[in-house]
Amino acid sequence: MLDFVVRPFASAGRGTVRILGSVGRAWILFAGTAGALRHPGIWGPQLVPQLARIGVASVPIALFIATFTGIVMSLQASYTLTGTIPLYFVGALVGKTMMLELGPVLTGLTLAGRVGANISAELGTMRVTEQVDALETLAYDPLAYLVVPRVIAGIVMFPIVVLLAMTVGIVSGWLTALQLLDMSSPEFVKGLRLLFEPWDVWFAVIKSVSFGAIVTGVGCFYGLQTERGAEGVGRSATQTVVIASMIILCLDAFWAATLL
Amino acid sequence: MDFKDGGIMDRRREIMVGLVVVLGIAVGVVGTIWLQDGWGRDRVTIRAASTGVGQLVEGASVKFRGVAVGRVESVAVVPSGEAVLIDMSVRPDLIIPTDAAVLIAPESMFGDWQAEIIRRDDYDTHPYLDYPGEGVLPGVALPDFSRLTATADEIAQNLTTISERFEVAFTEETAQNLGRAIDNLGEVSDRFSEIINQQAERFDALAEGVDASTRELGAAARAARVSFERVDAIVADGQVQKLFADAGAGVENLRNLTETMEASLGDLQTAARQADATFARLDALLVAVQDEDGSLGRLLADPTLAEGALDAVAQMRDLLRDIQQNPRRYLSFSIF
Repeated sequence: MLDFVVRPFASAGRGTVRILGSVGRAWILFAGTAGALRHPGIWGPQLVPQLARIGVASVPIALFIATFTGIVMSLQASYTLTGTIPLYFVGALVGKTMMLELGPVLTGLTLAGRVGANISAELGTMRVTEQVDALETLAYDPLAYLVVPRVIAGIVMFPIVVLLAMTVGIVSGWLTALQLLDMSSPEFVKGLRLLFEPWDVWFAVIKSVSFGAIVTGVGCFYGLQTERGAEGVGRSATQTVVIASMIILCLDAFWAATLL
Repeated sequence: MDFKDGGIMDRRREIMVGLVVVLGIAVGVVGTIWLQDGWGRDRVTIRAASTGVGQLVEGASVKFRGVAVGRVESVAVVPSGEAVLIDMSVRPDLIIPTDAAVLIAPESMFGDWQAEIIRRDDYDTHPYLDYPGEGVLPGVALPDFSRLTATADEIAQNLTTISERFEVAFTEETAQNLGRAIDNLGEVSDRFSEIINQQAERFDALAEGVDASTRELGAAARAARVSFERVDAIVADGQVQKLFADAGAGVENLRNLTETMEASLGDLQTAARQADATFARLDALLVAVQDEDGSLGRLLADPTLAEGALDAVAQMRDLLRDIQQNPRRYLSFSIF
């Protein structure tokens, strides 16, 4: 009876401690990573490979998603705007939506699965196979060697991938409007330019920079926290995707509330 | 995409990374410039001033005769706060009219506004702001929905005030007076209706009289037509000419008769004067006779003579009377 009463409180306390512990470890990782920036000799050689793995290798999947997102956006916009609203607003809706929301967020979520899980699994495997410990034994700062190049690569390449995805999404929506909606290019471009502001691009870049830092940082965090062998690696990968996706959505709302 | 360590692979990796980065940045920059409609075009800047700009924002379209010729570069209130200056970049080949003005108005129903370069004479009823400064075009902004809403709200408040005043003024006594006024109005209406009916009856009678008169006039006209036809026939037969000829002859005869009568009257006057002189002498004679003066007097003193003389005088008088009454018996003349 007493255990039944106490158990919820114990669970709440355990959860709180776990969350606070994770937050604390995340801050420690963040501080350590910032401190590791002073070792460019360690993370520098790893940067280009990470830029290629995180950025270049992510371009195809990002463009694939953006292409179909643009198509769907154009079709749904035409379906929604049929009636009193001029059809050229399809261009405005596709452009504005791709730049402000769908381009950064969908790319971020996609890369949270692809990049975040990849980093988490890789570092988790290194952790459970004690390769990280070996780096420390070799006097390598594991944060400088493993975390810093990945986070920098995420911060640099996410905006690039997002810009490309936005462009491809808008172009695919444009082509869809031309082929399936019987719109003309001047109409679509008129709508595209109607509500465009250069700040929209900067807004997308700022969001994607934060998403890149979150995805790579969370992946590194859970990867380095991996325990208990292959099962732990899988768990870390899953947690990375879930937590990174949640943070991405929260950040999306935060940036919308603060920057728009 | 699998990147492996190694010199060649590192080189390829660097190239790929650099390519993607450059491509991404280029796409972002070029796309932004293109979407701003500023790619590869020379622009000249013109300035307009207005008391307000509605929902006009930076980047809005600038049109001339309905054609997009540029965009709004900046919208700023002057330090004194009395005007808003709008800088617009337009095509350099655009020829702006000498009396140009800028009309700021909604471009569509969805909140986007535009600045249109117009000829001021075409829309000269708007209150343009003539802001001092060389090359500053006068401008005016049409009311936006917020101002229209504010105006509608003001109208609503006025209506509310009127309603309240009407409610105050419209008491029970007012209602009774109004009811009586309506009753009076009904009575007036009834009387008016009666008058109208009476007048209508009179008009009906008058119309009947007019109708009868018209019929009589018609008959008279027909009779006149017959008479005229007869006259026409007479004229056609030459009877009138004959009549006029006869009348002329009659007048001539009458003139002759007049002359004859004048002569006869002269003779008659002469005879009358002679008779009057005769009677005078006869009277003197009779006086002498009465006085038994002279032979005649003495004759008359004799009753036989006197009686004979009296008979003769009486016969003379009868003769004169008969002459006066029957002159034809003693004077005869004819006209024809």
